[in-house]
Amino acid sequence: MPRPTSTLQRKRKLPTAPLPPAKSTVVPTADSDDEEFGNGLLDASFSDDSDSDADVEDQDEEDGEDEEDEENDETSDSDASADEFPELEDDEESAVDSDEIPSEGENNDDDGEVDASGRKIVLDSAGNPRYIYPEVNPVYDSDDSDREQKNTIGNIDLSLYDEYPHVGYDINGKKIMRPAKGKALDALLDQIDIPKGWTGMLDKNTGGDLKLTQKELEILRKIQMDEVAQDGYDPYAPTIEYFTSKTEVMPLSAAPEPKRRFIPSKHEQKRIMKIVRAIREGRIVPNKPKEPEQPKYYDIWADNAPERPDHVMHIPAPKLPPPTHDESYNPPEEYLPTEEEKKKWEDEDPEDREKDYLPRKHKALRLVPGYDKFINERFERCLDLYLAPRVRRNKLNIDPESLLPKLPSPQDLRPFPTTTATVYRGHEGRVRALSVDPNGIWLATGGDDGTVRVWEILTGREVWGLKLADEPVNSVKWRPVKETGILAAAAGDDLFLITPPIFSPQTEELSRQVLEHGFGAAAVTASTTTNGEPKKEPPAKWARPITTSHLAHVTVQITVRHTIKHIAWHRRGDYLATVSPEGQNRAVCIHHLPRHSSQLPFRKSKGIVQRVEFHPSRPILFVATQRYVRIYDLAASTLSKTLMPGARWISSFDVHPGGDNVIVGSYDKRLLWHDMELSTKPYRTLRYHEKAIRSVSYHKGGRPLFASASDDGTVQVFHGMVYADMLENPLLVPLKVLKGHKVTKALGVLDIEWHPKECWLFSAGADGTARLWN
Amino acid sequence: MARIKKKGTSGNAKNFITRTQAVRKLQVSLADFRRLCIFKGIYPREPRNKKKANKGSTAPTTFYYTKDIQYLLHEPVLHKFREHKAFAKKLQKALGRGEYGDAKRLEENSKPRVTLDHLVKERYPSFTDALRDLDDALSLLFLFANLPTNHNLPAATVSNCQRICNEWQHYVIRAQVLRKSFLSIKGIYYQAEIQGQDVLWLVPYKFAQTVPADVDFRIMHTFVEFYTTLLGFVMFKLYTNEGLVYPPKFDEEADARGAGLRAFRLENKSIAALPEAEEQTKRQQREFNKRVATLNISAIAENGEADKEEEETQPTEEQPDENIDAFAPATTKAADVLPQPGAAVATTDSDSDSSKPENLFGAFTFFLSRESPREPLEFLLRSFGCKRIGWDAVLGDGSFTDNESDPSITHQIVDRPPLNKVTLPESQTAAIPFSAGGRVPGRVYVQPQYIWDCVNAGRLLAPADYAPGALLPPHLSPWVKVAEGAYDPTAPLDEQDEGSEEEEAEDDDNGMTEDLEEGSDDDVEMEDSGIADEEDEEDEESDDEEEEQRRQYQAELEAEAKGEKPVAEAPTKKKSKKTKEQREEEERREMQKIMMTKKKRKLYEKMIYGNKKKEDEAENLRKKKRKLEKEKKRAAA
Repeated sequence: MPRPTSTLQRKRKLPTAPLPPAKSTVVPTADSDDEEFGNGLLDASFSDDSDSDADVEDQDEEDGEDEEDEENDETSDSDASADEFPELEDDEESAVDSDEIPSEGENNDDDGEVDASGRKIVLDSAGNPRYIYPEVNPVYDSDDSDREQKNTIGNIDLSLYDEYPHVGYDINGKKIMRPAKGKALDALLDQIDIPKGWTGMLDKNTGGDLKLTQKELEILRKIQMDEVAQDGYDPYAPTIEYFTSKTEVMPLSAAPEPKRRFIPSKHEQKRIMKIVRAIREGRIVPNKPKEPEQPKYYDIWADNAPERPDHVMHIPAPKLPPPTHDESYNPPEEYLPTEEEKKKWEDEDPEDREKDYLPRKHKALRLVPGYDKFINERFERCLDLYLAPRVRRNKLNIDPESLLPKLPSPQDLRPFPTTTATVYRGHEGRVRALSVDPNGIWLATGGDDGTVRVWEILTGREVWGLKLADEPVNSVKWRPVKETGILAAAAGDDLFLITPPIFSPQTEELSRQVLEHGFGAAAVTASTTTNGEPKKEPPAKWARPITTSHLAHVTVQITVRHTIKHIAWHRRGDYLATVSPEGQNRAVCIHHLPRHSSQLPFRKSKGIVQRVEFHPSRPILFVATQRYVRIYDLAASTLSKTLMPGARWISSFDVHPGGDNVIVGSYDKRLLWHDMELSTKPYRTLRYHEKAIRSVSYHKGGRPLFASASDDGTVQVFHGMVYADMLENPLLVPLKVLKGHKVTKALGVLDIEWHPKECWLFSAGADGTARLWN
Repeated sequence: MARIKKKGTSGNAKNFITRTQAVRKLQVSLADFRRLCIFKGIYPREPRNKKKANKGSTAPTTFYYTKDIQYLLHEPVLHKFREHKAFAKKLQKALGRGEYGDAKRLEENSKPRVTLDHLVKERYPSFTDALRDLDDALSLLFLFANLPTNHNLPAATVSNCQRICNEWQHYVIRAQVLRKSFLSIKGIYYQAEIQGQDVLWLVPYKFAQTVPADVDFRIMHTFVEFYTTLLGFVMFKLYTNEGLVYPPKFDEEADARGAGLRAFRLENKSIAALPEAEEQTKRQQREFNKRVATLNISAIAENGEADKEEEETQPTEEQPDENIDAFAPATTKAADVLPQPGAAVATTDSDSDSSKPENLFGAFTFFLSRESPREPLEFLLRSFGCKRIGWDAVLGDGSFTDNESDPSITHQIVDRPPLNKVTLPESQTAAIPFSAGGRVPGRVYVQPQYIWDCVNAGRLLAPADYAPGALLPPHLSPWVKVAEGAYDPTAPLDEQDEGSEEEEAEDDDNGMTEDLEEGSDDDVEMEDSGIADEEDEEDEESDDEEEEQRRQYQAELEAEAKGEKPVAEAPTKKKSKKTKEQREEEERREMQKIMMTKKKRKLYEKMIYGNKKKEDEAENLRKKKRKLEKEKKRAAA
């Protein structure tokens, strides 16, 4: 290695060749640098040549002096160091020149003594010694004169130095002075013509203007434009084709094709023959059909999962029922179908058949034929399994008798009518209405033949009869007063008040008096009102019938404008209400017997009125229209309640003698029991008649009985107990169906009424008879 | 205030989904949906309120449970279907282009295969669940095993079904779980009891099935696909529990020779016997030992005899499973003799009853004539302990003996009318020790029904009733339990009920022989006097009844006046009396019905209707029986 050898030589020489001090002072540093540089070069390039060793060493002697001056700070003697002073001073002077502003401290430094190691010791302001080392003279290797001249203030905010002339300190702790700034005019001039590279930004390191070179600006622009910042990169350089797209016509080599290309390969043939042999021997089967995959079975229930209860929504398919005896190939003979059954089965649609096979008997097993519908049946089952909707049905395994309600036996609720006791025959055509006199001796009936007949109840003898009109008698009612014997009968528009000649003369006389008393009163009122306003036409005309022979016993004839269908007496017998459904607002008319006056209680009709009844004890009027039963308070003349039975067409109704319960019969076969304390809706709805209900009736003589009559020719008797205790609901027990009336022209029993005391029931039928049931 | 509930967000409206909606949700074709439903066991439901379930519409619709359909959404089988759809398109494309090689390669390599294993576990979480659902599976597979193949039905499916059926029968024989069987006009019903579950299946008679045109075989095929998988797993479990290897070895050659059940070879699990199975065998062994210990010394001699016979038969027998459970035949032999020494002393071979019904035929050697149905008889006999069954060579391979004259045969099953002596050729009679009529003396000849009746009765019946050519006793279903009031064909008529006297009287009127009429008249008179007494009491009780009586009497008088027979008086009166009582009862009931609510009344009427129908049926049968008996009597007279 050349370098180390040379240094070794120099070190060896040091003691041998003492330095001439004069020489070192003469040689300017710049020159020595040059020489050194040149030597270095030579040294580096030609150190291999041993011939020139001597020359080199000679030259080295001169160099060595310089080196020693600089290097031997630690090794040289004190006398040698004295020579250096002028040099140092020189340096300082030049430094002062450049700085312009000389500092005191620097001058003071000169005063300090120099110790053995060459450092200057000065006292600082506190009086402590401060060592100032001499400037290090780097060897030429470490020369960094070409490095960028940068100040070394570091990353410190310049604003901290605003008050000072310097901007920081260099490595030696010397102040770095702020770069000189021009005057205001210069600044202005600077602003006016912008110098080249002006950015307007402050260089943080120097505190001066930041100036960018053209190159830097170009880089910035490229970065800004998203271009490659590298200088000289051309993104659009033409492609270099590694392979040409042109085909070369001429071959690269002109050698002929080798022979092997035309000869089949022996190696390949060997391999093929191996396969051929294998195929011939059957070791390889070409195009062998794939074996169908055998399903793999394993213990799928190995985990022994405990049985879970089924999910609520899971409905397993029901199993098919096991076969019965009649499916046997050899069933008992009674299971074989008769000819009729066979024919019936064959005629039936296959879907309707109860069983899909006909039982057959075969003498021996060998005679049993194949079952031709086997596949169909399995197929049906498959369809059922995936297609039939499943539903969970609870099977009730109970005795049907347990469903029947527990009711007291009818035998315990005796007496009640069960059989026909008397049949009252005589009417031609239907018997429309009947009424029992308050004493319970006579029965009055009115029929389609226009007659009113009175019968003795017990014997069934017709005592008296009278043809009132050609129209049917729609209603008959005895006056509910025991002392008199007055019968009201309605035929057509007329209401007849009759005193039948069957009572004792005294009774007859009294009745006549009651009826005729009003004529006088009517005359008085007529005379008083004549002088007033023009008389309004009265709702009804009261008249004495022309006393012909056949109407001899009719005392009063009241004529209204429409056909009267129903009569209702007030309990005291003074008032009488008639219903003529066609009459609209004149449908209900109340007649006052003592005064022979009539009045229309309703100004406006609220539907077709079917029936009216008086409350058994209070001044209340019940009016039944088609749908509702309205209850009017007569004293206050207001509507107090409306019962809503829910029936389509009410045919009749009756008020319980207690006054709190009402039964309503309707043409739509329903019987409705209303407890007025409870609700306006029915307490019970009973539907048992096959045809429309014509009439309903309570027993008024203190027995808990009621009955309904229907077009199906039956009368249904009920036990209907109403308790005094408000909390207890009425007890209804059906007792007996009375059958006897024949149904003629779709009409059965038209009217019923109870005997005032006994538990006897009277019924009027469309077959022309009235019957007594007991 | 509580939040107002929005309509259609819960309950019926939410729980049910119509089929169209379901198909649309799953994005499958209807056919795929059907397959999926069959595989998954999803079925339509009947919502409690159809209107709510169908957004207010009452149009007839099929509803599914919404959650069922939701589970279907991520069903692997559904994905397979989709894959198959893609595959079908590829195949179609290849075929359309005429690339048959490609098509074949596709078919072979990339056809998606559906596996149903997971569905079996899913549908039947426990083994018992699976056993419960075997009825339909077995019936369908037995049908398919007997179907002719055609383009709808590949031969592989049929042979697969046959294999499964045979394996099943083998298990039933081996485990001795068959309980009952019944010859019906449709086919033969069998019932096995496995782990407490009754499995009932129907096997058609061996005839070519008529394949109707209106049956969709794709549906049946889908079911068969699932059922084969199910039965594979079920049988694996059953075989393993029995200590056998599943699947058993199948000898194709033997099968071709018509060996039937014998074409299978059961193998014992040499090492890996399941612990339960081992335990079971141990238990059996213990039982056997106990029995041997209590063995009567007197019976030993006979036992030795029987054992000798056993030894004789053993070599000829080629039944593989014989070697596995060597103790089994010994058990049967011992059991045959043990419990009733009296019977054993009397006869060793023919009438000795076995202790267990499973070994009913254990002591006998059967021979099946060639006209008798071999498969069901073989299955039944082997299930009930019979080890030696021979049959005519015509019936196939694998019989114990082909020789009808084999002296070891104790029973022969014959299903032909008895032959005349004349018809038997001379040479035959000379060669074989047949007696007159082609019978071997000492051998029991019975018709096939004998086997079934014995099995159902659980004991050996007298074979005389079932002799060839005899009029067979009726074959009854073993599953009918006679309810109260129902008709029991086994019980004599008089025991059944007395309420039907009335009809008898009616019949009398229709015209009977003299002596019978007399007898019935006596009865009527007796009852008349009773009624008179009652009448007296009733008079005191109620007036209305008296009235009724009076009217009736009047009516009768009138009728008499018109010139009707006075002879008819007695029965009619009795009848009217009856009807009157009935009428009163009926009236009372009608009254009670008035007070019922509509719902209860409907229910009540329905129940009454059902009961009445049943009663009518029973009554009809009784009536027919009575008539038949009378005819028989008349014929006898």
